[in-house]
Amino acid sequence: MKRSVLTATGVAVVAALGLAACGGSDSGGDAAPSAGGTADTTPVTLNFTWWGNDDRAARYNEALELFSEEYPHITVNGSFAAFPDYWTQRSTEAAGRNLPDVMQFDLSYLREFNQSGQLLDLQEHIDSGAIDLSGFDETLVEAGVLDGKTIGIPTSTNTLGMFYNPNLLEQTGVEFPDAETYTYDEYNEFIAAVAAAGQSTPEGYPIYGGGDYTATFWFFIQYLLQKGVTPFEEDGTLGFDEGDVVEYLEMTADLRADKAVYPVERGVALKPLGGFTVNESASEISWDNFLAGYVADSGTENLEITQIPSVEPGEKALFFKPSMLYSIGANTEHPEAAATLVNFLLTDPEVGRIFGTSKGVPADEEQRAAVEAPEGSVDAKVIAYEEAVAEEVTETTPIPVKGFGTIEAKWLELGENLNYGTITPEQFASEWFAEAEMATM
Amino acid sequence: MRRRRKAAETRAGYAFLAPWLLGFVLLTAGPMIASLYLAFTNYNLFTSPEWVGIENFQRLFQDPNYIQAWRVTALYALIGTPLKLVSALAVAMLLNNSRRGQGFYRSAFYAPSLIGASVSIAIVWKAMFIDNGIVDRAGQTLGLPAGGWVGDPGRTLPMLILLTIWQFGAPMVIFLAGLKQIPTELYEAASVDGAGPVRKFLRITLPMLSPVLFFNLLLETIHAFQIFASAFIISSGTGGPARSTLFYTLYLYFRGFRDFQMGYASAMAWVLVLVVGAISFVMFRTQNRWVHYSGESK
Repeated sequence: MKRSVLTATGVAVVAALGLAACGGSDSGGDAAPSAGGTADTTPVTLNFTWWGNDDRAARYNEALELFSEEYPHITVNGSFAAFPDYWTQRSTEAAGRNLPDVMQFDLSYLREFNQSGQLLDLQEHIDSGAIDLSGFDETLVEAGVLDGKTIGIPTSTNTLGMFYNPNLLEQTGVEFPDAETYTYDEYNEFIAAVAAAGQSTPEGYPIYGGGDYTATFWFFIQYLLQKGVTPFEEDGTLGFDEGDVVEYLEMTADLRADKAVYPVERGVALKPLGGFTVNESASEISWDNFLAGYVADSGTENLEITQIPSVEPGEKALFFKPSMLYSIGANTEHPEAAATLVNFLLTDPEVGRIFGTSKGVPADEEQRAAVEAPEGSVDAKVIAYEEAVAEEVTETTPIPVKGFGTIEAKWLELGENLNYGTITPEQFASEWFAEAEMATM
Repeated sequence: MRRRRKAAETRAGYAFLAPWLLGFVLLTAGPMIASLYLAFTNYNLFTSPEWVGIENFQRLFQDPNYIQAWRVTALYALIGTPLKLVSALAVAMLLNNSRRGQGFYRSAFYAPSLIGASVSIAIVWKAMFIDNGIVDRAGQTLGLPAGGWVGDPGRTLPMLILLTIWQFGAPMVIFLAGLKQIPTELYEAASVDGAGPVRKFLRITLPMLSPVLFFNLLLETIHAFQIFASAFIISSGTGGPARSTLFYTLYLYFRGFRDFQMGYASAMAWVLVLVVGAISFVMFRTQNRWVHYSGESK
């Protein structure tokens, strides 16, 4: 009897501990770094995670295979998620001081994760040469420096561009405005003209000129820069007010009222696709590195990138944004191995060839050179676009305020409501600012 | 001697309870107490919680989204739960009669509920109701406006209510067990007295089923307040279109994990616990009026 009780208790304890340990690997936050740097070939295992679609996962797997050939003693466990879920996972890990060794990171979340020193300062590994930044533009590297610490290194850059679908333009007979000089008004006229043409797709859906671009926060930031407004001040406050927001939203008010923009009802139902990627909308503003994904989603190679409209003709005020960065968790037990992986992904020419421009145009010179871009290919179009607008890139990257992810999501949500007609631009502005006040505190 | 054996039995009892107890303390009670503390703090997951008193609770009731979340959730629970129970009882009565292949029918009707809470069903549901999907086309032949349900804020809640009605399997199985308990003599006696089927249902079936009905009502109401997965999938993780599927738990999740406002989310969670607790309490109090347990002398 007694023995059986003990056994039962023992089993129970083991079972419960097993349950409790489901949280993942223990985080030895302050494990001493192993000596020897790169020459150390003790077998180690790294966790590496990124956001993206299947296409990106396939490319990463190819790159990680190369890595393990070169560094057989480092095993890399890769995992990925969609962008919103990705941050849910990372934030819970951060609360438990249990971040992965190496992570793909986004500019808009750097501040949050830096608050409590969750990300490793990479300067030491840059100084030692473990991470080789000789092929990087210095101002770009600055984007990953916060409070004097290098907590992320940009993998690649992107900038805003205007995508259009030549097949649809041909069908509707509407000409795209002059890309170098057109203003928002002219772009709006174009959108209205396509809707007025009254053409339909083979499935019988009407063809539109574009969606309501005011529903995206980054485009508003671009518009502010064109107006000469600094969106985010040095001290982390906002450089614009409710009046600016209302003025911006009013730009497309007539298009919304006349139902000349892509209908929000259908846009919502199509998620994660959109009007442009199902070939029912002729144009869309987006990040230029999205072209690869757009071509894959829409099933047509015939998509083009050109310049975005501006407030004053020809004054685009573009900026290069690090499309993503690599960061290392401060709790990593293998900082050297993690730095080795980061360096490989950032600078190995073969990795550059594998990804092309799908993560943006590579930040490292050698990787850029390694991108094979045959005439007319997606990569060639993206690179040609960035070269064409290089002179228009006059702004430094706006470093997002703390809580940027929240206020960006809020903007999108309110933009949807605006298009359903459940709120006015004034309500949008006041509700958004109420949220921004809390998020950026 | 007897006492020793009793003590040994007690110990054995606790030993067998241990896995559950440990799990409860570590995985349920602990986090609950932690969230009660967090509800009174400002906590963003990255820096230490900072005590703010009842500020979170004050903010709740000035938040238009919070009010909307209650509106949507209450509508869903008020309309969805009764309809679900009615359909569950109706099907249970159909399946209660002995006929050939009844095992097959019972399994077939129960199947949707087995897979019901899963993500896959929500995806299928979305595909059915989407623009030009099967429901949209069927609706057009009946003269309903085209355009699908998914993007129409007026039709997303009905769509989710239909989904919960369709998942009637669990209450149905319980009703079926309850129906089997009713002695056939009662119906025979009623027939002799000249009662028709409607009267039999009202005077025999319902009163005899009332404990089971109560149990199902309580359980399904609590479930309705917890709706998350299907709404999350169908709205692509937004609670949209136009906040029409912003259910309570969905909004709580956004606040906690999208906006990193864990204190606010914890406050929401505790308000939900209190409200659901109060509703359960009221239901238990009204039991005496309409629930008849066999063997009660009244």
